[in-house]
Amino acid sequence: VRTLSEQDALMTDGTDLSSSVEEVITFADGIPGFPGCHRFALVDLAEDSAFQLLQSLDDPAVSMVVSVPWLFFPEYAPEIDDTDQRDLEIESPEDAAVFCPVTLDAEEETVYVNLLGPFIVNVRSRRGRQVVLADPDLPVRAAVPLAL
Amino acid sequence: MLVLTRKSGESIVIGNDVVVTVLEVRSDQVRIGIAAPRSVQVHREEVYRQVERENAAAVASAERARALLKRGGPKPGPRPLPPPQARRSTAEGPPDDTKPPAAS
Repeated sequence: VRTLSEQDALMTDGTDLSSSVEEVITFADGIPGFPGCHRFALVDLAEDSAFQLLQSLDDPAVSMVVSVPWLFFPEYAPEIDDTDQRDLEIESPEDAAVFCPVTLDAEEETVYVNLLGPFIVNVRSRRGRQVVLADPDLPVRAAVPLAL
Repeated sequence: MLVLTRKSGESIVIGNDVVVTVLEVRSDQVRIGIAAPRSVQVHREEVYRQVERENAAAVASAERARALLKRGGPKPGPRPLPPPQARRSTAEGPPDDTKPPAAS
C-alpha cells in the first residue's frame, strides 16, 4: 500500500482529506471502537521510519501510529481466517498488507504493538479490515523497547 | 435484555439470517454455533473489547507517539515473540472451541 508523505498530510490535515488523497484505504465495517471511520490514509512519519500514521478521513481526530509487525517480530505469522480472506479477496500473501496498531505508554518509555488485532488490507482493492486473530497467545501489547 | 431458555440442539433466529444454536451444555460451559452472513463478524466479546480498548489507547497516544517516533524510535531488527506465558494476557474460550461456521 503506497503511503503519503508527511507534506501531503500537512496540506490536507483537518479538513476534507478525501478529495486530495488518492490512496484511500476503505474499512467497510469501520474499526473496533470507531465504527464510523471507514476511510483512512497511511501517512509516512519520516523517511525510512518503521512507523506510519493511519489517519481517518472521516474524522480528523482519529489517527493512530501503525507499524509493519515483521520489522520487530519476524516470527509473527497471523492466520487470516477463511471469511476474512474471502471478504477481502485475498488469495495469496502478496495480496495483503499487514500493519498493527502502536500504543505509547504514559511514561513514554515503551512502544507497544498490537499483534492480536492487525489491519489486513488488500493491496489491489485497498479494502481492509482490522481482524481479531484466533490465536489466544498473541498479545495486544507486545513491547518494542525504544532506542532513542 | 431478552432472555430465552433453550435446550441443547435448539436454536434462536436473529433477524432474517443469523441462527445461533446451542450445541452442547456442560457444567459451566456452553458450546454455541453461529450461522451468519459474511457481513456479520462474530467475536468473543472479551477479545473484541480488548482490541477496541487498544485502538482507543492507540488513538489517545497517537500525537505523542507520532512526535516521539518521528525523532527516532525503535530500531527495526529481529526480535523474538514474547514467551507464551507472558503473552497469554486474556481469559480465553476453551481450547476445543471450534470456529463458528459462516453461512454462505
